[in-house]
Amino acid sequence: MSTQNVADALSPGLKLRKNRRRVWRPLGVTGLVVLVIWILVAALAPVLAPHDPLGQQFDRFLSPSGAHWFGTDELGRDVLSRVVYGARVTIPLSLLLVVCSLVIGAVVGAAAGYYGGWLEMLVMRTADLVFAFPAIILAMAVVAALGADLTNAVLAIVVVSWPSYARVARGLVLSSRNADYVLATRLLGASGRRSLLVDVTPNVAGPILVLATLDVGNAALLLSGLSFLGLGARPPAAEWGAMVAAGASNFDKWWLGLFPGLAILTLVLAVNFLGDTLRDMLDPRTARAVIQ
Amino acid sequence: MNLTRRRAIQLALTAGALLATEAACGKTNKGTDSGGTKNTTLVVENSFDLTTADPGRVYEVTGGMVAHAMYEPLLTFAGGDVSKPVPLLAKSFEASADGKVLTLKLDETAKFSDGSAVTADDVVFSFNRVKNVKGNPSFLLDGVTVTAPDAQTVVLTSAKANPALPYLLPTPALGIVNSKVAKAQGAVDAEGADKSDKAETWFNANSAGSGPYTLQSFSTTTEVVLVANDKYWGTKPVYTKIVLRNVTNSVQKLDVVKDASQLALDLSPDQAKDLGAAVTVDRASTTTTFFLFTNMNPAISPVTSNPKFQEAVRYGLDYAGIMSLAGEGAVQAPGLVPDKLLGALAAGDSLKRDLDRAKAALAASGYSGQEIPMEYPSDITKNGIDFGVLAQKVQAGLTEVGIKVKLAPAPVATALPNYRDGKEKLGLWLWGADYPDPSDYLAFLPGGLVGLRAGWKAGSSPDLTTIGDQAAIETDSGKRAALYQDLQRKLNEVGPFMPLFQSAQISVMAKSVSNFVYNAVWTVDFGALK
Amino acid sequence: MRSRPYLRFVLVRLGALVLLAVGITLVSFILTNLVPGDPAAANLGQRALSDPAIVAAFRHQHGLDQPLPVQYWKYLTGLVQGDFGTSQRSNRPVGDELAEYVPATLELASTAVVLSVVVGVGLGMLAAMRRNSWLDQLLRVVSLAGVSMPTFWLALAAFFLLFYKWGILPGGGRLDPGLDPPPQVTGLYTVDALLAGQWDIFGNAVFHLIMPALVLAAYTVGLLTRFTRASMLEVLGNDYIRTAQAKGLPGRTIVFRHVLRPALVPILTVAGLAFGSLLSGTVLVEQIFSWNGIGQYAYQSALNLDLPAIMGVSLVVAVIYVTVNFVVDLLYGVVDPRVRLQ
Repeated sequence: MSTQNVADALSPGLKLRKNRRRVWRPLGVTGLVVLVIWILVAALAPVLAPHDPLGQQFDRFLSPSGAHWFGTDELGRDVLSRVVYGARVTIPLSLLLVVCSLVIGAVVGAAAGYYGGWLEMLVMRTADLVFAFPAIILAMAVVAALGADLTNAVLAIVVVSWPSYARVARGLVLSSRNADYVLATRLLGASGRRSLLVDVTPNVAGPILVLATLDVGNAALLLSGLSFLGLGARPPAAEWGAMVAAGASNFDKWWLGLFPGLAILTLVLAVNFLGDTLRDMLDPRTARAVIQ
Repeated sequence: MNLTRRRAIQLALTAGALLATEAACGKTNKGTDSGGTKNTTLVVENSFDLTTADPGRVYEVTGGMVAHAMYEPLLTFAGGDVSKPVPLLAKSFEASADGKVLTLKLDETAKFSDGSAVTADDVVFSFNRVKNVKGNPSFLLDGVTVTAPDAQTVVLTSAKANPALPYLLPTPALGIVNSKVAKAQGAVDAEGADKSDKAETWFNANSAGSGPYTLQSFSTTTEVVLVANDKYWGTKPVYTKIVLRNVTNSVQKLDVVKDASQLALDLSPDQAKDLGAAVTVDRASTTTTFFLFTNMNPAISPVTSNPKFQEAVRYGLDYAGIMSLAGEGAVQAPGLVPDKLLGALAAGDSLKRDLDRAKAALAASGYSGQEIPMEYPSDITKNGIDFGVLAQKVQAGLTEVGIKVKLAPAPVATALPNYRDGKEKLGLWLWGADYPDPSDYLAFLPGGLVGLRAGWKAGSSPDLTTIGDQAAIETDSGKRAALYQDLQRKLNEVGPFMPLFQSAQISVMAKSVSNFVYNAVWTVDFGALK
Repeated sequence: MRSRPYLRFVLVRLGALVLLAVGITLVSFILTNLVPGDPAAANLGQRALSDPAIVAAFRHQHGLDQPLPVQYWKYLTGLVQGDFGTSQRSNRPVGDELAEYVPATLELASTAVVLSVVVGVGLGMLAAMRRNSWLDQLLRVVSLAGVSMPTFWLALAAFFLLFYKWGILPGGGRLDPGLDPPPQVTGLYTVDALLAGQWDIFGNAVFHLIMPALVLAAYTVGLLTRFTRASMLEVLGNDYIRTAQAKGLPGRTIVFRHVLRPALVPILTVAGLAFGSLLSGTVLVEQIFSWNGIGQYAYQSALNLDLPAIMGVSLVVAVIYVTVNFVVDLLYGVVDPRVRLQ
């Protein structure tokens, strides 16, 4: 490599403004567009799907053709229609999962960071414990016991996924709590809760949102993974992970697993493109808090 | 050795060359020595349901084939014919006229793998141990006492006439154990053995039977390795080593096609299509009956206990669609008793879909469109039939009638307690014959083991109970068959069970393997393979 | 004198580990006892299940007939003596089973981690040095694709292509069927084969490791690439780099001597965390590659509500995770002198 490149890399300006301009936007835009498409697909599924996703009305295992673009599955259902309807399962549930853990984690973490003391101690030690707990094992045990159902899976995963938000929220609150302008408002007589809400929250919100965006992808992967193991979606609902599992037991019928797998990949990739771009737009220091 | 050196060299080679040697390696797996007998390893793949190799406790399919290779029973079945028990360790057997006493004479040439002779004491010990360790197979000998008047004679005495007993003796759990060796390892046959017997760990690492193979290594999740018993008293097995590997069925298919294994036991009917010319496919109907039931107990569900609703389900099921899933080799079950057994109904007796009748019955039942949960074990795949797929097919058929079914899958651990306690409104389950005799199916009568699970209390149908009681003790096989057929026809009219199909065992093997016969009791006899 | 703070550090960490063990077993214990499943149902046959005598014998044998606090106390006291209890499914000591399955997963996960660190850090450095070039953008897409890949789907695709279609790599298992594992020392087939001098077995074991390790590494490679890039860029912005550059040091020297070292601290942290995610990822991958590690064991145990096994496997995963991160913390001192003083 040439010195020129290092010099380029070194050029002053990892700071926010320069960074914004430097961000390679097309990726973020692509992510946003794909994500919006998926959301539209989910919303308009009844219009878009050519057939009833549950209708066992065709021959089994038809390979992709003009009549069935993605072929038909082991019960003679149209795979395209099922992929389309699958968006209605994965997207809302991934969002639900992230929102739940975000709300719990952020509130708990912010409180811990702001008030400190025994509360902070308790919250952070619990978070450490949960961090070390293998999430998927817990989810499997809970789902095995309560019955295969994605809502059960979401509940189980929320239990183990809030701590990352709590950590980030606490860290950010800690750093901004002592920032000059916060101290100034406190000196001016603002109450603790007011300064937490008004001065600290805006600083915390950005990074937490980025973290949440990136986490939507992880949630989708985890949920479809559980469905793949037969511990997620309840049949006959169309769910991508479960559809890949059907493809796994019928290897040579490649279309069974390929299309739902691509659906998961494109959705998660879109979310990650978006999240990654948003992260780059943040101040590097807070970006680091997010990635850790 | 040739194979391993090739393997080492492989690593240094490029991808293209790798491909070539890989193919060559697959072939070297099976050499033939100068004597003409294959001095070689047979790799068998199965989805394990293994929990133990202890013959006193074994009751699973995988465990059955492993135990059968190591522990020979008194009587056996020839090939796949389970309709007639034939001698093995016992060279002859005779039942008393009242059906209560079975006397067996042991073959004096029979030897255990340590060279010692098989005696009546070993039989007494093995049977009492099965009874007293209170494991899954203990029920087989309920009400049976075993005595040994002399070293070569065994007498089995039952409290009631027990015409099924000879059919039950070939079960792998009733294989005979070398009692001297077992006792030395902490095995106990006396009452209280459920607490005092300490031999299971030993049996999971060693064997002490008279069968063609002995245990080399055992893992409930990875693989079981059997090696030929060099002191075997019968015809020596052809394969010197059996490697039984735990592999999911989709991978089994790839392995057997590529000759990475020589026998795959769990392919689904769909997977077994278009396998190519490199393998042989054996299809045989099993003694596993898939069935649906509607709960008879009004306290559990006033809807499903309504006879009209049951009629709607019975005639509304899409039997043809279900059979398309069950695949080639499976048979639609006309009754609960499988076709290989005495007393089975003829194929002509099977139910046919009658949508008009089903809809009329549903209207008469007063069903008002509420969702009925149908429970099934989501983690069971039997003969490649996935309960989840089957349940969706059943659901679709009933939807056409107008019955709204909501699927409620759960792993066995949570589904089975509900089923056992008779709490399921609709249940989709299977019943595999514990032994190939129709008396095993008396469990489906009111107050019986499965009857209760469908909320069918004792005394609900005195007529059926009377026939069942007669069938249980009848010793004339012609009359027995007639009684069981009568019973099933009545069950098909008033019972809560809708028999769907008997699944097909699909066994796929390399062309080099011959003499394979599927047996419903132990799946495959490794000692007979050539 | 310098060892003193280290000693304290180690002791505090060990204390935390004990608390963690108690916490994890307690959570698993309460959870699995709250849920409505019945271990007897999962582990007994259809006939035996309806026989009260057999169910009672089963419950007695596994201590399930005792009050819950007693059960838990017995488990804890056993655990202190290294006894993980007895599996309800196989009736074998959970400790023995873990000893069988943990090395398999460790071998797979370590291979994947080494692979991810080498590839991920390398690609990340490349991306940072060629910042905003087309290569950087390409690596960005590639690494994000790695993070977004559904592991089970990738595993299937790899299996289908590399084994089924092209036959380049073996399909599943840790060794070819028919080959006996090397004499057990560590339980890692590659290491044991080397110790025993069995080169053929070593080669075969490596051969079998490649595909599952690659699949498993996809996520962590992506993660580490992105992270290495970010943390290198951050260091590159520091004044001392500019000084070094002003002194006229060549770019290569700057990167390896002045940038990589401080950037390694956060990279190490992520690698440690990634190891934890790999252990979970094995649940999906082991299933497909017939790899008999703790992933499969955890899946089977969860389905069968085999409580001692669930607790055992959770405990082992947590302890491995904590230990790895502890080692990472210790490594900070080696990598970055500033940390050593704190």
